[in-house]
Amino acid sequence: MVHDELLEHFKYPCNKKEIQNPDFAANSENPSCGDKISIQGIISGDKIVEIGFGGSGCVISQSTASILTEYCKNKTIDELLNINKDNILSLIKLDLGPNRLKCALLCLQVLHEALINFSNKKNK
Amino acid sequence: MDFKKTKNDFPIFRQSKHLVYLDNSATTQKPQVVIDAVSKFYSEQNSNVHRGLYDHGEIATTLYESARQKIASFINAKHVEEIVFTSGTTESINFVANGWGLSHLRPGDEILITQAEHHANMLPWQYIAGKTGAVLKFIEINPATYLFNDPERFLTSRTKLIAVTHHSNVLGPVWGNNCENLKKLISSAQKQGVKVLIDAAQIFAHQKFDVQALNADFVAFSGHKMFGPTGVGVLFIKKDLHEEVNPFMFGGGMVNSVSWESAKWAPAPHKFEAGTPPISSAIGLAAAVDYIQSNFDFNELKTHQAELCKTLVEQLNCISQVRIVGNIQLIESEGHLVSFAVEGIHAHDIAGFVGSKGIAVRAGHHCAQPLVKHLGFESLVRVSFAAYNTIYDVEVFVKELKSAITIFKK
Repeated sequence: MVHDELLEHFKYPCNKKEIQNPDFAANSENPSCGDKISIQGIISGDKIVEIGFGGSGCVISQSTASILTEYCKNKTIDELLNINKDNILSLIKLDLGPNRLKCALLCLQVLHEALINFSNKKNK
Repeated sequence: MDFKKTKNDFPIFRQSKHLVYLDNSATTQKPQVVIDAVSKFYSEQNSNVHRGLYDHGEIATTLYESARQKIASFINAKHVEEIVFTSGTTESINFVANGWGLSHLRPGDEILITQAEHHANMLPWQYIAGKTGAVLKFIEINPATYLFNDPERFLTSRTKLIAVTHHSNVLGPVWGNNCENLKKLISSAQKQGVKVLIDAAQIFAHQKFDVQALNADFVAFSGHKMFGPTGVGVLFIKKDLHEEVNPFMFGGGMVNSVSWESAKWAPAPHKFEAGTPPISSAIGLAAAVDYIQSNFDFNELKTHQAELCKTLVEQLNCISQVRIVGNIQLIESEGHLVSFAVEGIHAHDIAGFVGSKGIAVRAGHHCAQPLVKHLGFESLVRVSFAAYNTIYDVEVFVKELKSAITIFKK
């Protein structure tokens, strides 16, 4: 079920670093399985120019964070807020049942929370 | 007896020829005789119970009440009315929490449970403690031996109820050889009038359980973990307590007479069973009890499952990344499940990988989040056996576990 590309991202993740003085940041965990993800990034104009993630957990949760953070680069906030479950599944090329879906969606939930907080702060 | 042939009694293993089912603590598979009993009820006998004055109504009532009698004999209850059908262990425990706990616990009273409880025997007591002002206390697990050290020291003059598991769904045996420490605790508790509830969800497919010998006040268990259907469970309530336990639910079938203002309850067990009970499932559960009694000798069954555990433990001990979580000596002598962590690999990855090879194991916190965290883990893999498992199942699992470790290790 887990394919080689995911294993590559799990063993050699992209963007697994902490960004200093980030514009946006959030973290969350899935208490039912212990997966943890944090995401931080820098925005220039309305585009993500730098992004990093941290965390621990299963292959799906961690490799999806690696793939998603790669995808985020040079995308606008609005583009990223429009990403949904189906986009994530096509990015990671997996069809997941209800029990594992939450592993794949944890990083999207964290990304959205960080970007929404950033937008709210900016609009105040 | 030859447990190699036991799988033949379970049609799922004919449908899924390569299924290696090692998640029996979550639910067991169902033998043909149980499926047939449920199917026959719906095809030939279906009616509600205790009401219809026609043949089918009489047959359904007789079958349902015979199921109660069969369960009573199986667990050696002194009185058949001590058997209350519920939807499962969780409802049974919630029943005691609401039907007895709410009316009998006062601020400062202590409810004593253990750190090894399933959420089903923890959350109802958290709730009731919050409602009544009672204090929830925990018998501590020794993280080195995975046993409770001297559990009686947690008993105080304020303890009103002890609610504990008989066999942990994560650690396996936790009370010493043959549950000797549990027996001592019950005896000490009852000398000072403390009520005792046993969560026996993990017992009935595996070992003999004599409710009079243990002398607990309440015993909760599920049908589906002992080869029976889902949706039915049992709450044993000792007869002496039938007056002081209130009904948990109210409605049809549990009353003698009703006026606009009030009602008089029917005698137990009916006052504890409002609404249409899980009739077909109770009849299926009786068939499961028949199946157990006519096919298994409990001593041989215990030896068979302990041997499976021993073989698995020996093979796991050869894998350097594996850490077994539980008292190995007891698991090897009277266990039926083995939980473990694999260093650097999430339990869900192991379970997902072996699952893709047709092997069913459980991974996660096993509805015991605080326990798993307390022991220093995020999640564990659990292999749990039933009568139909064989050494072959263990070998197939270990082979795929080794492949998973090779693939996932960094």
